[in-house]
Amino acid sequence: MADDRDNVVDMAGTRVDDDHLLSMYIDNELDAERTIALITRLRTEPTLRARLEKMEANDSAVKRLYSEADHTVPAQLASLVGAENVTMMNPSRTWQRWAGGMVAASFAAVLTLVINVNQSVVFNPMSMDPQLADALEHSPSRASGWETLGSDRVFRGVLTFPAADGRWCREFLLGQNESQWRGVACRDSGEWVNQVVGSEVFLEQETQYRPAGAADSEQVARFIDETATDVALGPQQEAALIASGW
Amino acid sequence: MASLTAQQRQDLIEELPRLKRFCLSLTSDPSDADDLLQITVERLLEKGMPHDAHVAKWSHRVCRNLWIDEIRSRDVRNRYAQSESAVEGAGTTSANSDDSVQLDRVSAAMDRLPTEQRAALVQVAVEGCSYAEAAALLEVPIGTIMSRVARARKALAEDLEWSAEREA
Repeated sequence: MADDRDNVVDMAGTRVDDDHLLSMYIDNELDAERTIALITRLRTEPTLRARLEKMEANDSAVKRLYSEADHTVPAQLASLVGAENVTMMNPSRTWQRWAGGMVAASFAAVLTLVINVNQSVVFNPMSMDPQLADALEHSPSRASGWETLGSDRVFRGVLTFPAADGRWCREFLLGQNESQWRGVACRDSGEWVNQVVGSEVFLEQETQYRPAGAADSEQVARFIDETATDVALGPQQEAALIASGW
Repeated sequence: MASLTAQQRQDLIEELPRLKRFCLSLTSDPSDADDLLQITVERLLEKGMPHDAHVAKWSHRVCRNLWIDEIRSRDVRNRYAQSESAVEGAGTTSANSDDSVQLDRVSAAMDRLPTEQRAALVQVAVEGCSYAEAAALLEVPIGTIMSRVARARKALAEDLEWSAEREA
């Protein structure tokens, strides 16, 4: 078969070199005629064959490189996408490596959701359930440590404050497996209802959690700023409120 | 276009692993890829997409545009903030075998590829896209994909040959 390299053109009619031809061959994008022509050349041109083998080997290495990289999608991100009846409120848009001092080291990223309180479906595991409601009802706020909720969750009350509409509200942290959330729930007609839920990624050490009311979780903090009519209750005031059944 | 439909959410969940690999192909940095993925998802949830939109194409477009915004922003910061030296790590030092050395070389060579070539190569060689599929996803002509993939392979081959010779 005649050497037709000079006649080989790409899809736009432009001549392509051997590397383009080999690349298209690897990707099975050559038409039958050009494939046959190239295979014929590969049989007789060791240099071209070596070039092809090198490209294929490099492709395999690239595939391995990408398959060995950690492409695990964080479970909370999938949960976030799958959640219905949630609306993003000012996404974080933080770039960890480039944000410099603007991002606290202990907070890798923050997602905050505003949950429509009139809709019953909220995303797992922040749905208000009896265990969480009971913890909000009875557990005092603390600066460190956790209270176990059921078999796989931990809870920490952060602070209690009065809302402008007369309700009592509590900021809290909730952890499950590798995920943590910061939220605010308010007591409405005797029942606790989630108002704001922030999904947060913390570093591994428990001590790196920020103290109650820290401004790192901006969206939750802003909700509190906009909702609270007074400063957070002190420990004794909160204990009295809990004891009185709110 | 305020929110995603249930079907779009489901499609997006299924698209997330591929979208993350796309993020890595753009950023060539795992931390940046994680950030980009999260920011992309946030944007999609915040802005939604047309009900008849192709979720994979739409999400890849949003992702790519966000990355373009970010690298423009970084470029500005680099030009006006002399103190911010963008020194990248010189790669892993844990290579104990020929195999890992070779992977390190490939990783470094991939990092040195122009972003558009790296993204095209990953779509075709890693994701298994046809040129037409990659062209639709990256919103460029098919001939451009062909050219970018070929140039990426050529550059990769030459880079790896050079680095192997240098270390020999």
